[in-house]
Amino acid sequence: MTLDPEPLPKTTSIQLFKSLFLARRSEEYIVKHYPENLMRTPMHMSMGQEFVSVGVCAALEGKADVFASYRSHAAFLAQTHDTDLFFSELYGRSSGTGEGKGGSMHLASPGQGHILSSGVVATQIPVAVGAGFANMRLGTGRTAVVFFGDGAADAGVFWESLNVAALYRLPVMFVCEDNGYAVDTPREARQVPASLTEAVKAFVCDSYEDDSGDVESVYRLARGAVEKAHRERRPAFLNVKCCRYLEHVGTGDDWHWGYRDKAAVEREWISRDALLQQRVRLASLQMSESAIVAVEDEIDRAIRASVAKASQAPIPGPERLYAGVFHEKA
Amino acid sequence: MTMAAAKPLAQSSRVLSYAGALLETMDGALRDHPNAFIMGQGVDDFKGIFGSTTGLAEKYGAKRVFDVPLMEEGMTGVAIGAALVGDYPITTHIRADFSFLAMNQIINMAAKYSYMFGGLMRCPMLIRIVVGRSWGQGAQHSQSPQATFAHYPGLTVVMPSSSQAVLDMYPAIINRHPGPVISIEHRLLYNLDFTISPADKRVPLTSYVAREGSDVTVVATSVMVLEALRAAQYVQDRAGVSAEVIDLNSISHPDWELVAASVRKTRRLVTADTSWLEYGVGGEVCRQLMMRDPGLLRQPPAMLGMAPAPCPTAKSLEDIYYPSQHDTVDAILTQAKGKNHGIDLPVERSMTEGYKRFRGPF
Repeated sequence: MTLDPEPLPKTTSIQLFKSLFLARRSEEYIVKHYPENLMRTPMHMSMGQEFVSVGVCAALEGKADVFASYRSHAAFLAQTHDTDLFFSELYGRSSGTGEGKGGSMHLASPGQGHILSSGVVATQIPVAVGAGFANMRLGTGRTAVVFFGDGAADAGVFWESLNVAALYRLPVMFVCEDNGYAVDTPREARQVPASLTEAVKAFVCDSYEDDSGDVESVYRLARGAVEKAHRERRPAFLNVKCCRYLEHVGTGDDWHWGYRDKAAVEREWISRDALLQQRVRLASLQMSESAIVAVEDEIDRAIRASVAKASQAPIPGPERLYAGVFHEKA
Repeated sequence: MTMAAAKPLAQSSRVLSYAGALLETMDGALRDHPNAFIMGQGVDDFKGIFGSTTGLAEKYGAKRVFDVPLMEEGMTGVAIGAALVGDYPITTHIRADFSFLAMNQIINMAAKYSYMFGGLMRCPMLIRIVVGRSWGQGAQHSQSPQATFAHYPGLTVVMPSSSQAVLDMYPAIINRHPGPVISIEHRLLYNLDFTISPADKRVPLTSYVAREGSDVTVVATSVMVLEALRAAQYVQDRAGVSAEVIDLNSISHPDWELVAASVRKTRRLVTADTSWLEYGVGGEVCRQLMMRDPGLLRQPPAMLGMAPAPCPTAKSLEDIYYPSQHDTVDAILTQAKGKNHGIDLPVERSMTEGYKRFRGPF
């Protein structure tokens, strides 16, 4: 769905590319370094789905309070661009987002607008509604955005949250990263409505669907949706079709399990990978190959520096075990 | 698993992994009870709840073994309803933490139906939940809620610590137990191989002596039984200390007389549980002893459990979060010989090679 047919400013296209590349390359480093056994945290990889959170976070221009699931790498990086914090947490270091106590599933940096990531499916959704409620009451002008998978839309608490957000007229952005599977169970085996997008319309909210696989399409959609949500004072539901390239948890692929067809996934998704698409778009905007490579190299260097820094950062000492359990200063 | 089972051992003994024992009992339940079924996220997939349900959907069909949407409370309610009218549901949660979403149905419904309706109905069902540990499972994937569940009258809570316990206990539960049972399985047990003893050494559906001894009583649960057994061997070899290890096995219905008799003999106590100490299993052990005879213990007991914090992910903190083999040995020796026992402690921090190697699947 394209709400705004005007081409985006070139700087925006470049920003979106950078953000996509940052998420993708960061995860490529995770894949590469995971076997060293220094990142001891179960990884739920975003690879393939990055364009959803990249597009939405860019559209909200830093005025988002982001709530994410355990599959939060891309959302965290899209919102914060902070690879130092990111890798430090994955390496279990004192300099991480949760001083190493949270790991991959619990990335958070409230000061940068990534409020939290939660390890239990759908648990972040009502919490985001709470932030939306407070933002409205306090008049902060910020928007609560919650990312979740289509699996979370199985859960009762998703529907409760949607209902109450509509009931209280809260401009909360519900963003479904619809990759079609809960672990390996396809959506059709779990949900009766043929279309989640249509089912959600029964609640007073604006329900959008996007199957473009294109970060700019998501960006435009989110910009329009958040503007309307605030204007109409009601929640927005963005159902963005996407594909998880890797296994549910872990850094490998999972074609060998046979629950999805590699050739079909390659044909339908990987061949029009959002990052590649955006790279092609930059070229079509008269950005030279060397300029694109320079952008990539700069990000790559930054990530490598963050990985090096994280792997050398201090590990939390035993005195940190009890810090923050109750209300002493963590 | 079949390969292990084929190993020639002593007569009628065999080797079977914990996951293999679970699979045998699940298979047996479906085979012997037309009204039994298994429901849970991923029970019919390739991972098959870490190998404990693999192949059963193919064997018994999708009406007996089926995947469900993410709906823990709803699923549990559905299971309860089926149980009330004569089915035998077995539900699964790949993490104990996820069963917390079903707390309302488990505690307000399943635990109370038989009593609240004056025995008009029964709610026989088995809820299998798996405790995670290692590789940065973190705060929401590592909890061990035996004390929580056992607090509520009406719930039977068990923690099988070996393949033998699973083989002996699950059929007894599924065949005969009239109420809801929560079985807390430990992920680190799944890949371990156990020797299955001849039929005359069955593990009862309550507590039992896992190793006889005379100097110190160690009351343990789940994977801590294995830690305790290993520590007991160590202190025997290094210091001639004889530790008696009791596997509590049933958390809601332990054999307290067995525990008390052991402590009467040893006068020294170590508790080793997989959860926090606060309001926990070890505390209940002490309450039971105290209520029988406040003079039973010669000295204050040693209590092992998780550090009183949510589980941290960083390895440096996770390592000190759980009691190590070092801690278990030290606790036994301190009970037997005092703080200055002077005996070298094992250097390793965790129990088996399996622990160290564990990297999922999660």
